[in-house]
Amino acid sequence: MIELRKVGLKYGDREILKNVSLTVQDNTIKAILGPSGVGKSTILKLMLGLIKPNNGQILVDGTDITGMKETSLYDIRRKMGMVFQGNALFDSLTISQNLGFFLRENMKLPEKEISQRVAEQIQFAGLEGYEDQLPESLSGGMRRRVAIGRALIFKPHMILFDEPTAGLDPVSSKKILSLISSLRHHNNLGAVIVTHIIDDVFNVADSVAVLYQGEIIFDDVTEKLHDAEHPFIRSILSDKILEL
Amino acid sequence: MPVTFIQILGKKLILQLKAFFLTMQEFFLFSVRAFMSFPKIIRYWRDALDQAAICGTDSIPIVLVSAISIGALLAIEVGNLLEDFGAKTMLGRSTALTVIRELGPLLMGLMLSARFGSRNGAELGAMQISEQIDALRAFGTDPIAKLVMPRLVAALIMFLPLTALSDFAGLQSAAYMAEHYHRIDPGIFWNAVYPRLVAKDFVVGFLKAPVFAVIITLVSCFNGFSARGGTAGVGRSTIKGIVVSSGLVLIANFYVSKIVLENM
Repeated sequence: MIELRKVGLKYGDREILKNVSLTVQDNTIKAILGPSGVGKSTILKLMLGLIKPNNGQILVDGTDITGMKETSLYDIRRKMGMVFQGNALFDSLTISQNLGFFLRENMKLPEKEISQRVAEQIQFAGLEGYEDQLPESLSGGMRRRVAIGRALIFKPHMILFDEPTAGLDPVSSKKILSLISSLRHHNNLGAVIVTHIIDDVFNVADSVAVLYQGEIIFDDVTEKLHDAEHPFIRSILSDKILEL
Repeated sequence: MPVTFIQILGKKLILQLKAFFLTMQEFFLFSVRAFMSFPKIIRYWRDALDQAAICGTDSIPIVLVSAISIGALLAIEVGNLLEDFGAKTMLGRSTALTVIRELGPLLMGLMLSARFGSRNGAELGAMQISEQIDALRAFGTDPIAKLVMPRLVAALIMFLPLTALSDFAGLQSAAYMAEHYHRIDPGIFWNAVYPRLVAKDFVVGFLKAPVFAVIITLVSCFNGFSARGGTAGVGRSTIKGIVVSSGLVLIANFYVSKIVLENM
């Protein structure tokens, strides 16, 4: 479980997050919805301890990570997988090497098990035959699936998606969303999805938090979003995609 | 009006000073973390070997070209000057001192600042803007131990033989020009070189290699890690890395010579 308690963050004079509180339960998919540049991705980085808040607390499985040292955070981070918006694949490594990179790096597993786990992820992501290709030779959707595979290979408790369908064509987006949905059923994983596409929220999320002007203006089960009365939520329900 | 202008200028100056000291603090912490991760070389020795090939063997051509051309030019110019004083036989001595103490390590440092430093800045900068460094941290890998420390180890090891190579090539080309341009017998030239060289001359020259290795690697890597603002940001951070490390190499060259020559 991940919990943000009254988290505030400033970049210079600009206040990005104001007293943001939200909880992500295990085995559920939580979406964070909001316009571009509002601080959604920042929330994911805060959850991983990649950046520190100015105030408030962040708890991962009950452990306060707010003031933790970088070296102590590595063990916490291994409980979570992250799929970056630009995938952040290592461009000089092949798909197999990308998938196995962190297993070789951080877990003392025998090479046989690493190869087995890589093969499982290749199959899960539908990338058979592309094992020895470099990321640049794959389509955007395929790269995103590699990034998801890389995040899953650790067998984390929670997986964080930063705009999982951004920049993808409708077919690839559908594939990615069904892949995310299948995680809950097959792997019993919790997930946080940051998005500005409202259809993605209705397609996969159990609950949704809406971030607007640095504040959470809605946090409840996805179905209740239709009943929300905040003018911003009413406007996004009619526009479907948030562009500001 | 002028008061407001001075106030704005003062505010800007304070902000810039603040930013400068903040950067210095970050650089200091970055450097400490790079040195503190030295024990992890057992884990990253393959990365260090790769980097040793990049900054060592791959840099041999550029080090040779610069050392040979400067050695030859030095022999011609100094030889002409010494001829005016009837002291042409001292060419070996003066060339050897200049090359071993100063020009050999300095040229090697500047060439590697451009070659190795620019590579570090561009590669790490591109990794930073494409979130690959964040990915390393997110999945529990220390990016400084993985990316910076192996480069530092490789530079510390490889800069010494490169300095020796630079000295050797510079002296050989100077000897060649002494024989073929100034018509000085090679025996006379080398006789003025070897018997008169003392330990101090080598200490001055070879002490610079690790100093330059630390400066070039840490400055270029730090700038790569600090890259912001897309591809243009990578360009800016790479240039900054080269300019700053080259400047520091020149300053360090002076101070190492001064300190060693005054104290040995």
